[in-house]
Amino acid sequence: MGISTGLNYAYYPGCAAKQIQKEADWSARAISKQLGIQLNDMPRATCCGAGNVQEHDLAAGLALNARIFSEAEEMGMDIVTICNTCLQTFTYANHRFQHEPELLADINKVLVKAGVRPYQGTIDVKHLTWVLVDEIGVEKLKSHIKNPLNDLKVAPFYGCHAMRPNEIFQGRGGTVNGPKYLETLIATMGGQSVDYYGKDKCCGFHYMLAHEKEFLSMSGGHSLEAKNAGADVMVSPCTLCDFALGAYQSRSEKALGQKIGLPEMNIAQLVGVAFGLDDKTLGMSRLHQDPTPAFRAHNIRA
Amino acid sequence: MQAAVAKTPAKAPPAARKVTFRILRGTLVGDQLTQKNQDFEVPYDDSTTVLGALEWVKGELDGSLTFRRSCRASICGSCGMYINGRSRLACKTKVKDLIYGNEAKNIAAGGEVVVISPQLNQPVLKDLVVDIHPFYEKVEVLKPYVQDGPEKEAHVTKDSFSQVNMVSNCIMCGNCYSDCTAMVENPSFLGPAALAKAYRFVADPREGDKTDRLKALSEDNGVWDCTRCGMCIDACPKGVAPMEAIVKLRALAIEAGNTHVKGAKKSMGLKGEIATWGVVNEPLMMLNALGPIGVLGQLGNALNLMKKGKVPSPLPFEHRPEGLAEVKAIYKELEENPLDVRTRAEDSGPGAG
Repeated sequence: MGISTGLNYAYYPGCAAKQIQKEADWSARAISKQLGIQLNDMPRATCCGAGNVQEHDLAAGLALNARIFSEAEEMGMDIVTICNTCLQTFTYANHRFQHEPELLADINKVLVKAGVRPYQGTIDVKHLTWVLVDEIGVEKLKSHIKNPLNDLKVAPFYGCHAMRPNEIFQGRGGTVNGPKYLETLIATMGGQSVDYYGKDKCCGFHYMLAHEKEFLSMSGGHSLEAKNAGADVMVSPCTLCDFALGAYQSRSEKALGQKIGLPEMNIAQLVGVAFGLDDKTLGMSRLHQDPTPAFRAHNIRA
Repeated sequence: MQAAVAKTPAKAPPAARKVTFRILRGTLVGDQLTQKNQDFEVPYDDSTTVLGALEWVKGELDGSLTFRRSCRASICGSCGMYINGRSRLACKTKVKDLIYGNEAKNIAAGGEVVVISPQLNQPVLKDLVVDIHPFYEKVEVLKPYVQDGPEKEAHVTKDSFSQVNMVSNCIMCGNCYSDCTAMVENPSFLGPAALAKAYRFVADPREGDKTDRLKALSEDNGVWDCTRCGMCIDACPKGVAPMEAIVKLRALAIEAGNTHVKGAKKSMGLKGEIATWGVVNEPLMMLNALGPIGVLGQLGNALNLMKKGKVPSPLPFEHRPEGLAEVKAIYKELEENPLDVRTRAEDSGPGAG
């Protein structure tokens, strides 16, 4: 499955990385450049629908996705994203298109009437972390490391939408069975992964607006648990998890009545630190909890 | 015709391997639950299930070990428990898979210690037995039967059961309820099993009161309280996919006019935002979901974000993709010629429905 040749991808950062979580986008582009991964912009791509359009008007959601897939297909490339919800929304739609030819034919009729090239069902959708581990590989990643993490204790937070449902990801989610993407990346950079209950649970992002109290308790609870398990920093492969666990951490602290103080960042930012990229490139000043003291304590970029 | 009950041999054959079962035992004295891990060395072979191993422990090592079980064939739903970090049926889970992993079954390689505790989100009564009353009560309040009423259809097509079949496989094992992440924060949430059942009745053409059901399901603790984390889909041993049913209920609830709830407003707003802006318009999404007064309540959050240069623009022109006329044309075409794109499940055999 998939049509990309070499390391050429149609890049779909997702809405959050274009707006509030820009640092994840900057870092993803910066580390990709170092590794020779070509992230090509998709000028026509809209929002994926984030599961919200899909639970209101599924046909419209699938058609929006097919339109985006068609653009990537025309570019001759698979899609790479840095947002779990985009990844799951696309993987769900693509799984259905590839397994239900009648559905794809129906949706394509709609696309054609709207003046869009029909989707042939050929592309693959990947997370950037999958490309790092599966395509680039540990050895090549190691050759780029200038600042090893010196046993920094890193809590991986996977986020639901890169793992479940297992059926659509076919074991690629890297959670309960597949390759352990985040742990592999952390170990490759010289860090130590911290294990904790919340690592593969929900950050709460998708119900933060409707259920703020429960959301703050959920996201803050995971951060607190990771901190208590000895984590110096937390990383996530998802811009929405970053938002929930990082940008909202101080709100969670207020809700829980307890200091957490766990710097959270996108995995691409931490890889960027290990690659020796500077703070400005990685947007480190946009983090709500400064990781510098933790880095200093481990003589990282001392 | 019943074959002799397969029993893990009491005396391990010479080549048998051994594994440690780390079981969270619990005793309730008055209201006070005391829990403690206890390790047991258990012989196993390629066919040993967790249930077989637990029965061996009970028979050979400690008769006081307490767990529910009955059919041994993933039909009765009694032996749901928390095994190596996920809620699973003990009778359906092989010890070998827990040790070495099984990708097809979505089981991680856990090594030589199998960790077992009672299901989550429910009060523990003894060892691996939980109080299933709350779980059953939430199903009961949903009136789990077809009601007579004005919306009852006389004509029942075979295809209409493509929506009912999947949910009919539910064996009420509680694994989805146990792994539900929303339940942790809100114990009043109806939960995946009950909501999947609710979908089964809303989707049944014979049901006479679909509108009232959808209205009730749109209230607090209903369909909009799900986090969409997907844990219930992976936890279900029978392929019911409760979250899929919840998402379908959301669409039906909106269609039936239950649009006043925040979750519904947020979902409905996005479709239009994409046609106008191409991307999620974060401030507009908030305004849609919370209303002007609710947005004022978010000022603290907004200030917090601004401190880090994260100012969401209400006019995200710079991100507007090309060809939005196509999106509008897609919407128009679908409005004029709606498509039924719901997933369908095959009739799963006698008794389904």
